Amino acid sequence: MTNYDANKVAQIHRQLHSRLPADPALRVRALESILVEKGLVNPQSVDAWVEVYQEHIGPKRGAHIVARAWTDSAYKTRLMTDAPAAIDELGYFGRATGHLKVVENTDAIHNLVVCTLCSCYPFSVLGIAPAWYKAAAYRSRAVRDPRGVLEEFGVEINLDVEIRVWDSTAELRYLVLPQRPAGSEAFDEAALANIVTRNSMIGTDRDLRLSAHGID
Amino acid sequence: MDGVHDLGGEEGYGPVQVDYVSEPFHKEWEGREWGIAQCARTPNMTIDWWRYCRELIMPEDYLSRPYLDSWAQTDFATYIEAGWISLEEIDHQVSLSSMDYSGDLLPATSVQDILLDERNHAVRYDAPIESDPVFSTGQSIITNKQGHSGHTRLPQYARGVCGVIHAYHGAYVFPDLSAQGRQIHQHLYSVVFASSNLWPEIYDSKDKVFLDLWESYLTAAS
Repeated sequence: MTNYDANKVAQIHRQLHSRLPADPALRVRALESILVEKGLVNPQSVDAWVEVYQEHIGPKRGAHIVARAWTDSAYKTRLMTDAPAAIDELGYFGRATGHLKVVENTDAIHNLVVCTLCSCYPFSVLGIAPAWYKAAAYRSRAVRDPRGVLEEFGVEINLDVEIRVWDSTAELRYLVLPQRPAGSEAFDEAALANIVTRNSMIGTDRDLRLSAHGID
Repeated sequence: MDGVHDLGGEEGYGPVQVDYVSEPFHKEWEGREWGIAQCARTPNMTIDWWRYCRELIMPEDYLSRPYLDSWAQTDFATYIEAGWISLEEIDHQVSLSSMDYSGDLLPATSVQDILLDERNHAVRYDAPIESDPVFSTGQSIITNKQGHSGHTRLPQYARGVCGVIHAYHGAYVFPDLSAQGRQIHQHLYSVVFASSNLWPEIYDSKDKVFLDLWESYLTAAS
């Protein structure tokens, strides 16, 4: 039974610091084996969850949503007003997207998403967050120096473009709708999805290229 | 709590280590921890209590250990605090006592089942409440100058500053109390801050920062 005793947890962390092995692989193995022995975890379920997020749930889902919004203006309207319902139409409603919001890039606005307090991320549409998203450098600087951060991603934002940084401090999650690049008029939905990068849906990419790249 | 987890605007962490690795898990143990976190039968606790327990990790560990390793550490801490795992079991890395659940392993879940069930994992944290929201869109507010030593979602960089109500979201579970096990809904707003209002070095920019903030973090600006 959880007792919500923060002082006790602070002490437990100090005990764990000296009593757990240093290697993360050994720490996680210890956690799994104890939980399995106690009947709290089924290792086959862990296998399945790994496979789901390796093979099935990832940024291709977000790219599909973006491509649909680019090609179907009624869908885009639904996406901008009620994103959870709109992604549910594509079968992507799920983990951490119960309160999804979509923010749209324009010629005058660039959106960038961060979680400064932990690492909140819309799992069911973008999969597992990239390492940099969860690292102190990004979490600390995205709100203070977004233009500097974007330069490190090779993205330069003109001074007349307003940057809007979304700090995910509540249970809402944010997905950036990037701009459809000029020259893609003849592309169908599948071809469009192929040019949407994961980073463009977080906001660390802006001008999409026409060549399909395989989602990063 | 004013801990090292509250990273917004802190300096000295260097440039972003940009990588374009496509694999979601870089090491096998990362996938195992992700899977454990998704399917473990956990003590009755709130997500905010779990987040608070992660914030309580020793600063040197919080800042130096890999991200999903900190999840494992938080899982250990919440299980131990709830009395489901003992420190002795960690020393031996085996279960030393049987639990009510022992021998009653949860049924295995297949990839297909998980995909079918995924939409049931979309937890909703909002619910209607009787009171009306105090603030309206476009209204100027000032955020609380102080936090408190428990869990809170008002980051230090956004305290004691003026902002404007951008949108009203509804009433959401209030994390400061949820981290103590009390699920009480409170009005939640999207609040926009001029970057020039937040950071001393920014004075000629129209850039903005948006935060989702609960009503008790805010007061009307006079």
